[in-house]
Amino acid sequence: MTLPAALLDKLASVAVREGLADAVFTHLDTPIGTLLVVQGEQGVLRIGFPSQADDALLAEIAQRVGPRIVASDRELAATRDALSAYFEGDDESLDVPVDLRLVPSAFRRAALDTLRTEVGPGDVVTYGTLAARVGHPNAARAVGTACALNPVPLIVPCHRVVPRGGGVGSYAGGPEVKRRLLAHEGRLSARRP
Amino acid sequence: MVVRTVVLPPFWSLVESHGDELLIHARRLAGDADAEDVLQDALLRALRAYPRLRHADHLRAWLYRVTTTTALDHHRKRSRELLTGEAPAVVIEPRLYDDGFEALIRPLSAGAQAALRLRFVDDLDYDAVARRLGCSVVAARQRVSTALRTLRAQELPT
Repeated sequence: MTLPAALLDKLASVAVREGLADAVFTHLDTPIGTLLVVQGEQGVLRIGFPSQADDALLAEIAQRVGPRIVASDRELAATRDALSAYFEGDDESLDVPVDLRLVPSAFRRAALDTLRTEVGPGDVVTYGTLAARVGHPNAARAVGTACALNPVPLIVPCHRVVPRGGGVGSYAGGPEVKRRLLAHEGRLSARRP
Repeated sequence: MVVRTVVLPPFWSLVESHGDELLIHARRLAGDADAEDVLQDALLRALRAYPRLRHADHLRAWLYRVTTTTALDHHRKRSRELLTGEAPAVVIEPRLYDDGFEALIRPLSAGAQAALRLRFVDDLDYDAVARRLGCSVVAARQRVSTALRTLRAQELPT
């Protein structure tokens, strides 16, 4: 597409200001590849890894949230900055609002909420521990599903949940990315006083 | 009650697929200086109406139509400003005036409709119509007369 960037920027900004946008998306270059970030009025709805097709992710947003989807780096500047700061080593930076409406069950939402608020950078929990914290100690498998289908990885830190038997377990961005993120945060916690 | 589920693609995918050709279309209708304003306005109008669409067919043609209408509205507003020397205090929705005309020309192609509006709503001469449509004066005359012939043919009882 060769439309002038100024025209597209202005279009997206007016759309957001007038409440015409169901969601806004942006692409962000990071050490783990180019991420797709989709945000609604309440917070971040979706983060997509390079291995996931943008078209499919945005089509799902169109269907579940609304089709009025626009692109804007500027409108998502705060979220872009927070994610960039995270990758640059600022471990407190991922405290940005999320919107978990794409998560289809109350239990999964509760699991992801607990994970986001209670498991900080450098911490690692097992699926079973997280299940216990949500109040269902036998629901490790269901917690695993909640993590596997987490629509906002990184901000809801499902990379910090690992199997009890060892290894890093599976990850939407691939196990190698999960290992890199944990190493990145390990260095962060090692640097702490 | 039957719940109708229309699966509309993300709006931005339409902008990405058709934005370039819509800008060319806007240039043809509004000239280089106004084309980007017209397109931006047209895409905002389209965005406003988008969730109310009842099906996801012919979205490209729909965007062309919205762009054409927007270009014509811009043009009419311009003409009114030129006539009175200032912007109208109350913006009058042109459709109030043009209902009969619009209903009459609705069966025609977007191109034929544009030619007729420029000639009869905006009251431009063929030189100006040709400039607006980006074609020769001869072609502008032909488009208008062909559109009129089509209309007359449709008015005959069948």
